[in-house]
Amino acid sequence: MTLNSAMLRSCPREKEVSDLVERGQWPQACAPELRDHVSTCRACADLALVAGAFQRARTETIAAAQAGSAKLGSAGALWWRAQLRRRNAAVESIGRPLVSAQIFALVVNLIVAIGFVGIEARHGVAWLNWLQQLPQAASLHLESLRPTGLLDSGWSPMVLIPVAATLALLAGLAVYLAAERQ
Amino acid sequence: MPWEFAIPDALARETQIAASRAAFPPMDSEAFAGFYERSSRPLWAYLVRASGDPPLAEDLMQESYVRFLCAAHAPSLAAEGEVAARLYLFRIATNLLRDHWRRPRAASIDEIPEEFFAVPGTEAQSDSRAVLGPALKQMKARERQLLWLAHAEGYSHRDIAVVMGLAAPSIRLLLFRARRKIAKLLRVQDARGGRVL
Repeated sequence: MTLNSAMLRSCPREKEVSDLVERGQWPQACAPELRDHVSTCRACADLALVAGAFQRARTETIAAAQAGSAKLGSAGALWWRAQLRRRNAAVESIGRPLVSAQIFALVVNLIVAIGFVGIEARHGVAWLNWLQQLPQAASLHLESLRPTGLLDSGWSPMVLIPVAATLALLAGLAVYLAAERQ
Repeated sequence: MPWEFAIPDALARETQIAASRAAFPPMDSEAFAGFYERSSRPLWAYLVRASGDPPLAEDLMQESYVRFLCAAHAPSLAAEGEVAARLYLFRIATNLLRDHWRRPRAASIDEIPEEFFAVPGTEAQSDSRAVLGPALKQMKARERQLLWLAHAEGYSHRDIAVVMGLAAPSIRLLLFRARRKIAKLLRVQDARGGRVL
């Protein structure tokens, strides 16, 4: 027989003792025969001693709380705090996909920008000519501001439209996020 | 064969809980106020005796209720009853206590002065202070929790296992050892001239 199993041999009368202590009937309202048993049974004696001490401690601690020695706070304040925390958690869970969308848009932008730079590098940076010509324009005329070289050098609507759309999307997202934070 | 048949009990229980929750409305502020009134003092008593630190017990108690209200899987008072709700609440409090003790900056339980283990109160409340306080100080944190849940709250071994996150079969042995240890301490204290127990 192992030590544990030897130690764990509980007394069949433990339940009786435990119930009496719980009801506050130990030892006064207890049969003399059970009292005799507890005086000879170590498991029951330990149980009666410990359970009695803890029951008294519980009663006294709760009485101390009722007497005002504990700052327990009000149920209403806790309810409000929980509502606030729930709301914040909900806002956070809504915000998470938005951040993901923002990151996705940024990545798309970067890919478009890298692709554009790559194409420009391959075909030569023709739009720089337009910038160089700009100060040479003698008079300020709308025609002089028209980036003629721009459209002629690969800035086709096929590129401009997606870039403009992405910028619009990002701007909308930024405005939405700013409004949400406020 | 459908995969659901592999775990019929778990699924049946989940379905049963979901159905019972759907049948009852969620807890409103009035129901919570009633539950709080009935359970806050026992929970505070548990926390203050297990931690030995009344201000910490107050903080952890409030946090336990807030987490209880925010928890998606907290038992519903109407569907699962007050006993299940209380068990869940005590479980949250136990986890918070454990987290507090695990924090590196937290003071060791052995460093807490003895007077913390006594609950402030009137002269009439000095019994538990004189008897249980010094003995509790010499017990490990887990032993204090076990003993309180078993002998002050009257929880069964199964319930204690749920609250403390331990295996149910180990509770009996742990509790037996803790009870023997504190009984010895109480008797030594008594023999040294303490009060008659």
